[in-house]
Amino acid sequence: MGRLLFRQALRFVSGLGGAAVLAAALAALSIPGATAGGVPYVLAVLGRLGAMTQFDFGSSQVSGESALESVAAALPYTAGLLGLSAIVATAIGVPLGLVLGRASGRRLIVPFIQVVAATPVFCASLALAWISVTVFGIHPMLPAGGLFNGSVAQTLALPVLTVGLAGAGAVQLALHRVAAEIQDQPWRSGLRLMGLPQFEIDRLYVAPQMFAGLFANLGEVALAMVSAAAVAEWVFGWPGAAILFVKSLAFADWDVAALVLLVLAAIKFAADLVGAFACDALIGERAA
Amino acid sequence: MSLVTISETRHAPPVLKTVLRAVGLVGLSVMAILAVGADVFARAPLGEINLGPPLAFPSAAFPFGTDEIGRDVLSETLHALAYTASRAFMGMLPAVLLGELAGFAAARFPKVIGGFIRWVADVLGAVPTLLLAILAIATQHAAFAPLAAGLAATPLAFARAFDRAAGEERSALADYAQMTGIPAATLFRRDFIYEFRERIFSIAARAFAAVMITLSTASFLGFGITPPARGLGLMIAAARQDYFTAWWTAAFPALALILLVLFARLAAGLEEGERP
Repeated sequence: MGRLLFRQALRFVSGLGGAAVLAAALAALSIPGATAGGVPYVLAVLGRLGAMTQFDFGSSQVSGESALESVAAALPYTAGLLGLSAIVATAIGVPLGLVLGRASGRRLIVPFIQVVAATPVFCASLALAWISVTVFGIHPMLPAGGLFNGSVAQTLALPVLTVGLAGAGAVQLALHRVAAEIQDQPWRSGLRLMGLPQFEIDRLYVAPQMFAGLFANLGEVALAMVSAAAVAEWVFGWPGAAILFVKSLAFADWDVAALVLLVLAAIKFAADLVGAFACDALIGERAA
Repeated sequence: MSLVTISETRHAPPVLKTVLRAVGLVGLSVMAILAVGADVFARAPLGEINLGPPLAFPSAAFPFGTDEIGRDVLSETLHALAYTASRAFMGMLPAVLLGELAGFAAARFPKVIGGFIRWVADVLGAVPTLLLAILAIATQHAAFAPLAAGLAATPLAFARAFDRAAGEERSALADYAQMTGIPAATLFRRDFIYEFRERIFSIAARAFAAVMITLSTASFLGFGITPPARGLGLMIAAARQDYFTAWWTAAFPALALILLVLFARLAAGLEEGERP
């Protein structure tokens, strides 16, 4: 456990360090003269990196307020969206992964899953919005003020469903991969020969392996959901951090874009770290 | 039953996967013919307005309907398909060369160098591909979009190829071969040829699917393809104001995009839910 703690913490810190360098390289574009390249640019990057260590992330060239304030205002919306979507992703992705892990289940729904997986997130979000308006008569609305202000059906349902479905795809993939790997393992038939009921084998041996596989891929799930969140925030006008990143790039507001990039990378590395510990807690090793 | 027969039976690909792969190849071929021959199959040149009444429902005269300025949606979809597919093909090349091939080769580098490059790919891969592509487009210009989409897909492709090749290098077969005196360079050349001779189409189709999704999403968000050029993403974005009542203005371009990505995924042999 101690070695795992050290190794995963090292990966987290080194990854975060690399992301900080990337963010500093982006933020340096806002410094006059740095875009000339060469030594001035390198000095600008180092200067930005040094400022970051003192939590100085620059200021927005659009609004004038500090980049930290701009991102702090948008982050709760993205965090809320990701949190609620994680519930949807788990509720849909876990059963789907368990079904697809069995060969008999796969044959029935593989073509359907392939079509859904081929649908870009923006097409799926537009389709959901169309169904909501034309079939149910519910028009999506922007969240007014706080996350849960206004009608849940009008503000939360569609963005959460869009990002949740993207997350469900990643969850079911992680689960069904592990399930397919352990399907024909000799220890399963060995346990059956010893007289253990199938349910007990699944409960005590198979389920921990599968969920360990899910936790080992938690970073990938987080990445898929953050990417979907950027599109969902754009389509539904959600004032979150992901769309703040897109708008900052459009207006060349490099300081704000750099901070959001750092936050998004930190989410992925944090998910990897948490997933590694959860995986180790379940089965004592990192699942393949 | 000989050992060869046993091993062939044990490693025979599942029937379902083979069928889906064949469907993907055929579908991709059909889409390629439509894209290359768009100027022939389309009933009107790109951007021709007032061909019919605005927002006309699909009919015999206009099978995919018309849009808000009377353009034939079928013709516009074919032209957009050709444009998007050709740009995605351009973007696929860096993902294959700098991603898959370079990742495979980097696994053979000295551990410190290979490990550092792998770490860089990890850091870049921590940013969602779409946002990385938009970042590259924003710091350059719109015409850079296809290459940006390809470069954004490179870190994940690199990491995948690196991990696969690193696993192969540590296999017992590689150890035995080196013990018999076969140089590492010869082993690398052999593995490289076998790897890409069998898998190059699958790798290219996977990269094509990834770049298609990234490029069309970026142009939907307003980055990349700009008017008068019209890709599928931009066409769908333009239809947003009318599609609640005139669903065909967005549905048919979206269907063309989904089919193209679907056939590329099937041809690449991707698992259900697996991201390209």
